Amino acid sequence: MSSEQDHLRETDSEKRFEFKKEQNAAFAAEKGELDEETIRLISEDKDEPEWMLERRLRALRQFHAMPMPTDWPSQPDLSEVDVEEIVPYIRPDVDMRGSVDDWTELPEEIQDTFDKLGIPEAEKNALSGVGAQYESEVVYQNMQERWEEKGVIFCNMDKAVQDHPELVKEHFMTSCVPPSDNKFAALHGAIWSGGSFVYVPEGVTVEMPIQAYFRMNSEGMGQFEHTLIIAEEGSEVHYIEGCSAPQYSKFNLHSGGVEVFVGEDAHVQYSTVQNWSKNTYNLNTKRAICESEGTMEWISGSMGSKATMLYPSTILKGRGATDNHITIAFAGEGQDIDTGAKVYHNAPRTKSTIESKSISKDGGRTNYRGLIHISDGAEHSSTSVECDALMFDNESTSDTMPYMEIEESTVDVAHEATVGKIGDEDVFYLQSRGLDDDDAKQMIVAGFIEPITEELPIEYAVELNRLIELEMEGSLG
Amino acid sequence: MSAQLHANLTEAQVREISESLDEPEWLLETRLDALDALDELEMPDVIRTPGRNWTNLYDLDFAGFVDPLNAAEEKDQVGPDEVEVMSITEALDEREELVREKFGSVIDPTENYLTALSTALFSTGTVVYVPDGVDAEDVTVRTRMNSRSLFNYTLVVAGESSSVTILERQTTGEDVEGERYYSGLVEIDADENSNVQYGSLQNVDQETYTYSLKRGHADTYGTIDWIEGNLGSRLTKSSVETRLLGEGAESQIVGAFFGHDDQHFDVASRVWHEAEHTTADLVTRGVLDDEARSVYEGVQDVGSEAWNTNSYQRENTLMLSDESEADASPKLIINNHDTEASHSATVGQVDQQDLFYMTSRGVSPRAARNMLVEGFFVPVLDEIAVEEFRDDLDDLVAARLRE
Repeated sequence: MSSEQDHLRETDSEKRFEFKKEQNAAFAAEKGELDEETIRLISEDKDEPEWMLERRLRALRQFHAMPMPTDWPSQPDLSEVDVEEIVPYIRPDVDMRGSVDDWTELPEEIQDTFDKLGIPEAEKNALSGVGAQYESEVVYQNMQERWEEKGVIFCNMDKAVQDHPELVKEHFMTSCVPPSDNKFAALHGAIWSGGSFVYVPEGVTVEMPIQAYFRMNSEGMGQFEHTLIIAEEGSEVHYIEGCSAPQYSKFNLHSGGVEVFVGEDAHVQYSTVQNWSKNTYNLNTKRAICESEGTMEWISGSMGSKATMLYPSTILKGRGATDNHITIAFAGEGQDIDTGAKVYHNAPRTKSTIESKSISKDGGRTNYRGLIHISDGAEHSSTSVECDALMFDNESTSDTMPYMEIEESTVDVAHEATVGKIGDEDVFYLQSRGLDDDDAKQMIVAGFIEPITEELPIEYAVELNRLIELEMEGSLG
Repeated sequence: MSAQLHANLTEAQVREISESLDEPEWLLETRLDALDALDELEMPDVIRTPGRNWTNLYDLDFAGFVDPLNAAEEKDQVGPDEVEVMSITEALDEREELVREKFGSVIDPTENYLTALSTALFSTGTVVYVPDGVDAEDVTVRTRMNSRSLFNYTLVVAGESSSVTILERQTTGEDVEGERYYSGLVEIDADENSNVQYGSLQNVDQETYTYSLKRGHADTYGTIDWIEGNLGSRLTKSSVETRLLGEGAESQIVGAFFGHDDQHFDVASRVWHEAEHTTADLVTRGVLDDEARSVYEGVQDVGSEAWNTNSYQRENTLMLSDESEADASPKLIINNHDTEASHSATVGQVDQQDLFYMTSRGVSPRAARNMLVEGFFVPVLDEIAVEEFRDDLDDLVAARLRE
């Protein structure tokens, strides 16, 4: 391989995500039984209005009332996930309450963390705005002035509760992801902290993406950030989410909540490159409601975590609304990546496409679990699902479990899936051209996911490819 | 769940059935064990998604339509001389050792509530024994159900390098007031290099609920091909399954259904690849009219020892009415990378352009639609090697279209 690639590998190793920082907390909730008192403490530390505390307490009651999900066919093992064993809330020791808008104002170890992750550099070059969350709180938040002038709001979620109570009251865990949706959504509703609030006024196009980066540093903690995006009629925005944590022996829990409101004729793209450490349980709820002629796009790369259960969903509520899902999952040793998509077609002439690519090796398991629901009356709707899986060995598992519920006859529904191994002939061909076995396989994997990476912004395509190279190296060496 | 039935189901009834068939002690024991197990057993799995059960078996009133002691039927069990086609009573008389060895070896009687119920209460059955090397066609089993409930059992044992084609039909005869229940278990044991083709055509009346589980074990280079046609019944829960246990074993499962009125079909095709070089092909096509509803599940399970597997699945549903509903879930469960597997599923309506073309040529809309529906079934009919079966299915489809 070229020296340039060797260089990339040396400088960009797993260590980029692996470093740990000393744990300096200004306030941390004790682990143990999750009761009203803990919730009140968190809410008080955040100086929240009464209505938000009420919502948290209601969600907590729902969390306690709901059983753990254990009866999904072949679902990941969650028996280790004991909520009482995690620290639900850590406020890092940052001088200023809320977030700063200058990296240099942050404590050195936090600044250094995000430097290593390359966030300030990306902000300079390619982003309209950046938010950075460390443990439970957003520590940095900034957006270029020209967007502010147009009325775009990009702030941390806690701040939005204080500054934009009407918008938050109306949209926060009400119609999109109510706490009753699932046990971990209820948990999230009770102890959520941090995350982003994005508001794009009517007709405004935010040309460069805005990004949020979530970093868990402490052992045994849970991160529960909430992201709320409201795109008004005819607006356009691309939100990028990155996440990582160093590896610990005890489990960490990430249970975020994402709610997206796509207005009439608006366009929202939500891209995620998930690289949680391999002791993290990633149990997220992400959902969008799409009004007429609106477009929602979910682009997800799932590389990290011990177990992921994540099914970004879109409710196509308005006539002519469109959904696109693009997902890549990579499961290596000890990983169980159970991910997919859910789309509800609730209006006529709605359209969805789902493309999923998964790779499993060294005993890892990937599963595409997806649901397409076309309601009675959603005339002339169409959906197309394509799942392709690549397997490296017979220790690994690759499952595909789509569900289709079609209540309307004037529809066009198609689902296709394939599973196969890396072609020996392809590897042989590339070897005969002078590549070694590892490089040949890497090249084949890169080709396999190319239809998806070419849809990503270039920085993310590069990042995803690098992560996959790292994953491949881990065991091919 | 089970309590509702137990009220009118007793050990004495099971003993009476067993005695009337002059059964050996071991079979009575098996029945009583199945009866005992009912309390602990669950209904067969149905697919659930958030907020929805695709088929609800728990609300069925089994107590209302199970009448164990009054089973009545007309049965034809015929086949060529070189094959032994026996009623269960004859089989226990002439080939008790064989039946004892194979009974329950493919389907565990206590696999679920309905298999146990069927085992405890079956009053009629067929055993087909094909000796080594025998090549036979046209074994026919016709069952016409004349009572409120009927529990049927079928065992096929195909010896080494034998070949057999079996066609089974279920219909209902005399009218019975109210709802009825038909339950059928089919076990196939296909020895090395044997070839079993098993076709089943279910066309019972629309007051009848049916449960059917058909499963085969295919040994080395053995082939089991299933054809499953469902047209009748109020509600059908059916699964057709093959375990490919021997190297090079193959299975094809061809399914067709046509639902109308408020019929509900819950049909499944499942295959387990458990040895090297095995091949499976699952093809199902279904049409729904009126308020009919279909649930389809297809499972291709490739075990970690199943090197060099080929496995394919296609499912297509055509909706003729806006009131109908089609649910589908084709699943791949792959534990060996040396696999070529794919599945696809589609749901749609009659192609509007085709319809337009035909009506522009002077064909009435109704006739055009009927021709397109018949055409839709052609890829499935083409997979059926037995001409008689193909014609029967074709006729039933045509008759339903012209109702």
